[in-house]
Amino acid sequence: MSLQPHTRKLTPEDAAHFLRRTAFGATDAQIRALVGRDAREVAREALSFGMDLAPGNPFDPTQGTRPGAAAQLARGAWLYEMLYGPHPLRERLALTWSNHFVIGTDKVKNAPMLTGYLALLRRHAATTDFAAFALDVARHPAMLRYLDNDQNRKGKPNENFSRELLELFTTGLGTPAQPNYTEQDVHEGARALTGWTYEGGRGNKNFLEEPRFVSRPNLHDTGSKTYLGQSGNLSGEDIVRIAATRPQTAAFVSRKLHRAFVADTPDEGAVAASAETWRRTNGNVRAVLEELLSSEVFYTRRAAIIRSPVEFVVGAVRTLGQPRLDAKQMLNLVQTASKMGQLLLQPDTVKGWDGGREWINDSALLTRMQLAAALTLGAKAPTLEKPPTALALLGTERSPLQAALDGLNPKQRTYLTLISPEFQLA
Amino acid sequence: MTLDRRDFLKYSALAVAVTSGMPGFLARAAAQAGGTKTLVVIQLTGGNDGLNTLIPYSNGAYYAARPNIAIPKKDVLTLTPDLGMHPSLKPLMGLWDAGHLAWMENVGYPNPNRSHFASMAIWHTADPTQAQAEGWIGRIAEKIGDPFCASNIGGTTPQALRAADFSLPSIDGVDNFQVKLPAGLDGAFQTMLNTSRTGEAAYLQRATRQMLTNTQKVQQNVSKYRPGAKYPEGQFAAQLQDAARLIAAGTGQRVLYVSLGGFDTHAGQRAEQDELLGHLASGLAAFQADLEAQGLADRVVVMGFSEFGRRVAENASAGTDHGKGSVMFAFGKGVKGGIHGDSPDLEDLSDGDIKYRQDFRGVYAAALTRWLNLDARGILGGDFGGPAWLG
Repeated sequence: MSLQPHTRKLTPEDAAHFLRRTAFGATDAQIRALVGRDAREVAREALSFGMDLAPGNPFDPTQGTRPGAAAQLARGAWLYEMLYGPHPLRERLALTWSNHFVIGTDKVKNAPMLTGYLALLRRHAATTDFAAFALDVARHPAMLRYLDNDQNRKGKPNENFSRELLELFTTGLGTPAQPNYTEQDVHEGARALTGWTYEGGRGNKNFLEEPRFVSRPNLHDTGSKTYLGQSGNLSGEDIVRIAATRPQTAAFVSRKLHRAFVADTPDEGAVAASAETWRRTNGNVRAVLEELLSSEVFYTRRAAIIRSPVEFVVGAVRTLGQPRLDAKQMLNLVQTASKMGQLLLQPDTVKGWDGGREWINDSALLTRMQLAAALTLGAKAPTLEKPPTALALLGTERSPLQAALDGLNPKQRTYLTLISPEFQLA
Repeated sequence: MTLDRRDFLKYSALAVAVTSGMPGFLARAAAQAGGTKTLVVIQLTGGNDGLNTLIPYSNGAYYAARPNIAIPKKDVLTLTPDLGMHPSLKPLMGLWDAGHLAWMENVGYPNPNRSHFASMAIWHTADPTQAQAEGWIGRIAEKIGDPFCASNIGGTTPQALRAADFSLPSIDGVDNFQVKLPAGLDGAFQTMLNTSRTGEAAYLQRATRQMLTNTQKVQQNVSKYRPGAKYPEGQFAAQLQDAARLIAAGTGQRVLYVSLGGFDTHAGQRAEQDELLGHLASGLAAFQADLEAQGLADRVVVMGFSEFGRRVAENASAGTDHGKGSVMFAFGKGVKGGIHGDSPDLEDLSDGDIKYRQDFRGVYAAALTRWLNLDARGILGGDFGGPAWLG
């Protein structure tokens, strides 16, 4: 299957679908503003975000008194940007990349590392050069620390980053019958990456100090290496570029973009079409996304993604018209998402969250119900200027839940809709 | 996996059970298969270093390979003339002395994979070819025909508990495991839930219904529990206590699953692993004491694993990189204590790693047949021999 463009002008339900996927959700008015527009134009516009941040963010990680507090403030600051920021697609992409190039606050406890890494993910959110993105990641102190490459030196390689670079960040494993790389590639890659480390910001006492990437020639193995079939005195830059530009990388990362934006179970033909665009444009992710977000496949596969905990939280608040929450409530939302299985900047493992049906279990469903009650019926529930419409909540003009909602007041209706299977899907 | 006709019928029946409440014949089958014994599976996530857990302290090659991170002989908790436990495992010494703690040496699987995720998936599916998506415990649920016969304690359900079309429950805190609908919404909630659906919406609908059943079952019984031991601080111990509560309440799960993460010790291993093994041992010892105080110790066996061990030689960061085979442990009154299997030969390595000699599926098979009284062949897809670690 190729990625046929979606040629029809956007209907209200198309527009609602687009905003569920790219903006966590939206109000009726925001949806209506896209009706009648051209799909390609809408996608291009959404992708041409700037780097400006939401004004008035109450959280500043450098105000943390301990590493754990700073990390919590970094999470709060990010959630604020998702809830109220001007570029929801940029944040949605940063969330996707944070689940691809994973770091975690269990090891990265330095506040400037966390904010710097998040800024990097935003800067490359719709990158035009995936290899450059991967290289910036590989040299960022947060990643050097998280996967121990800061300890990787000549003669005594530490393989952690080298392995995950291939397995999780670029080519993927492949199949047992046709692996995408060998153990030898992992060893040789680790040798090439020796000497990349960082200065400053080490230890719990220095969690506010700014770290800085350094390459130490005396710790670098300058011998000849063979990596994914290429030989020579390969450097760390060479290794990352070789891995990032492999054809398998195009397919592996394209599949993740389809999982993030099209379906938990992507159509392999459509993934192959994105991979082809990726290869043709030398890893221009922006071009891949623009094509994808204006394709027939994107507009046809409705209700095919189970919203993650963070998407559920942000989606609810944005659909309710972005009511103001106080700082404490927002930190509670960070914790609630964590209880449902998604703590920002701390996936369970370096593989990231698998997502899809993995988000759903008894405890997570219970927490979704509690959160919905708190946002609509609770004593401290935000006041809503007008209750959201079926189009905003469910993406359809006629609510399939009408029979259940008859006779309820607007708050009760909103509560019941937020806990329905339909709202939990995008 | 090919389904025979019997499996297919069972599976179809289960699918019906999950969507519309369990039909009578299946409920009877579940009651018959119920049994009163529980297997508690402990997952050590990240690749626990087996050599620093069960230490070959008489072996010079061990000390030669690990000048910085080896456990000094004087600190080892001696078990045999050649092997001893990491000092942080001291709380488990009582179980060893009583003959109820077993160590399985050199456990792994063919063509080992150093990827955390591929390797973990292999342990979860009991399938080294990685062809299956279902977990081995999920398949137990299908055999028994009861979607509540096993539960994970924690936030995220591991693949081991995945069945063909649903996941077994995850209980993240027994006290919170209950539905409290706002007043006046019961009828509307039922109507909302009964709306007809397809695709992922139908999956969510099914999961919600199952959750309602599961929470009811737990809450009806759980108040019966009175703790019989003091548990240490921390999430792992709290989860073990929840496991004890469920067992004491008689909620009927045959398998309970608890995870402890953080074993990926590429750098500064001693500090990290020492602390983790301390959490492990103090939590497990409290759990065992609790069961004994409740008179339930005869009914419970604990079995622990990690996705792989670590390389024999330490790296330059005073840590270890990903390796292959490792140790498993088990304890309980039904367990035959001791060391099962030969220690790895540290001078005959494969690519710097120990060569496994015992397939982990043989260890699982004993738990399935000798403890849970189930057909291991049907669940593991083959016959696997293993150490006789159950009496």
